[in-house]
Amino acid sequence: MDYLYSLYIEFLNKFNLPFHLGDFIAMVSFPLLPFCIVAAALIVIVIFLVLMERKVLAFFTQRKGPNRVGPWGLFQTISDAIKLLCKENITPTGAEKFMFNLAPLLAFVPVMVVWGLIPFSSEFDFMSYSVSALLFVTIASIPILGILLAGYASNNKYSLIGSVRAVAQAISYELPLIFVLLSVVVLSSSLNLKQIVLAQISAYPICGWFIFPAFLGFLIVFICSIAELNRCPFDLPEAESELVSGYNTEYSGMKFAFFFLAEYAMMFIMCAFIATLFLGGFLSPFGFYLSEKLISNEFWSNVFVYFEQVFWIFLKTFFLIYCMMLVRATLPRLKTHQLTGFAWKVLLPLSFLNLLIVCLIKGVA
Amino acid sequence: MKALRYIIALIVGHFTVFKHIFKRPVTLEYPEKRNELNEKFRGEHALTSDENGKLKCTACGTCQRVCPSFATIKIEKEKGEDGKFYPKNYSIDMNKCIFCGNCVQYCPFDAIIMTKNYELADEKKSSLTLDINTLKKNYSDTIINKTKDNRWR
Repeated sequence: MDYLYSLYIEFLNKFNLPFHLGDFIAMVSFPLLPFCIVAAALIVIVIFLVLMERKVLAFFTQRKGPNRVGPWGLFQTISDAIKLLCKENITPTGAEKFMFNLAPLLAFVPVMVVWGLIPFSSEFDFMSYSVSALLFVTIASIPILGILLAGYASNNKYSLIGSVRAVAQAISYELPLIFVLLSVVVLSSSLNLKQIVLAQISAYPICGWFIFPAFLGFLIVFICSIAELNRCPFDLPEAESELVSGYNTEYSGMKFAFFFLAEYAMMFIMCAFIATLFLGGFLSPFGFYLSEKLISNEFWSNVFVYFEQVFWIFLKTFFLIYCMMLVRATLPRLKTHQLTGFAWKVLLPLSFLNLLIVCLIKGVA
Repeated sequence: MKALRYIIALIVGHFTVFKHIFKRPVTLEYPEKRNELNEKFRGEHALTSDENGKLKCTACGTCQRVCPSFATIKIEKEKGEDGKFYPKNYSIDMNKCIFCGNCVQYCPFDAIIMTKNYELADEKKSSLTLDINTLKKNYSDTIINKTKDNRWR
């Protein structure tokens, strides 16, 4: 961020403000500006992610998907969101009022926090700590608390069963995920997400990516993140045919929209996290940046490299999201005992094996 | 060994689903595009008339008798100036009609036919009873039945 910060101060000093006001404004507004941009970007991304999910699932099943509102149905989700906003907020009579209203926020706020931890480019890493990978896994598990609270406070047996299932699932699948994260940490010898990405730079274009030494780990993390997101085939908490809609049965209007938003935002963030760990994050798959070749002006090419890096991580993220949608379109739902058995009997030993392989590779190299 | 079989099945399954993305969608956007109907399609009824615009119906009551859902068709008959009977009023209750086509099949004078109109939904039950004027209008609205209708009878 230092480079952009110096540019920003330079830009403000051009106005010749008195009493070093330029420095002061830079200090206050510089952290605020990216926050606003990133928060707005998340909402826009989620809106179009919902549309993408509906469209892609439609294509997999030879349908057309939403195509009435706007060109190619682009504004479908926006109209849905407006509909949700206009709906009445119902709190059931038997519900714990305070917790019932708290739960959607508890599910949504941590998602916004972890979104800032992802390094979008070598300059745009808004919350860069030495242990940001650990912090990511820690904060990303807080929404489960919101789900548990929602199920408990709703005073509805379906909600409670759904939320208990969600918690059991999250506990089982967090473990292999963290062990695989450990293998990535072994490879990059850092817990900072930006350092993990920078450790994937190599002389040859793609070869440095951690997907090659830890392919098993990549698969495990992919499966675990699907389970953490409560998506098909691990969508037991929301199993429509058994529980009406799981933990958000009693929610309506804006509170339901919060759960929905948190779910899809978390999907995008999880995929960005996997892309950061295994697919080289913001690194270009060609080994060089296109803007370096295309733009001759050195200053502008330096600036555009950062935006190109954002483009690369978004491309990788959307590829992973597409894979998740393919999985959703293909596989049927698991049973509860299959779900937990798969996590403890298959994924956990495999993640140990992955750690062993990675350690051997690191030792040899 | 079992696990390997499952993994292969997983990969094949995902590939099968993935192939569908290149296929054409089978969705028909209904109000704009419509399915082509079979020639024998049985929709709303119509009463035929000859070249002079006179109804072919003689109010014989065969359609009433063959109708499996009783009291669907109601006919008030009257004697015309030429000594032949004609229907003064002829109504079909579409609430009860099961679109079997018996009335068309058994009519000795080809007086009643079925058009291809299938959008019969209405807000009121009472407006679903077709009277003689509606049935006449249905015939003048249809084109298909005038030309090659007789082929399927």
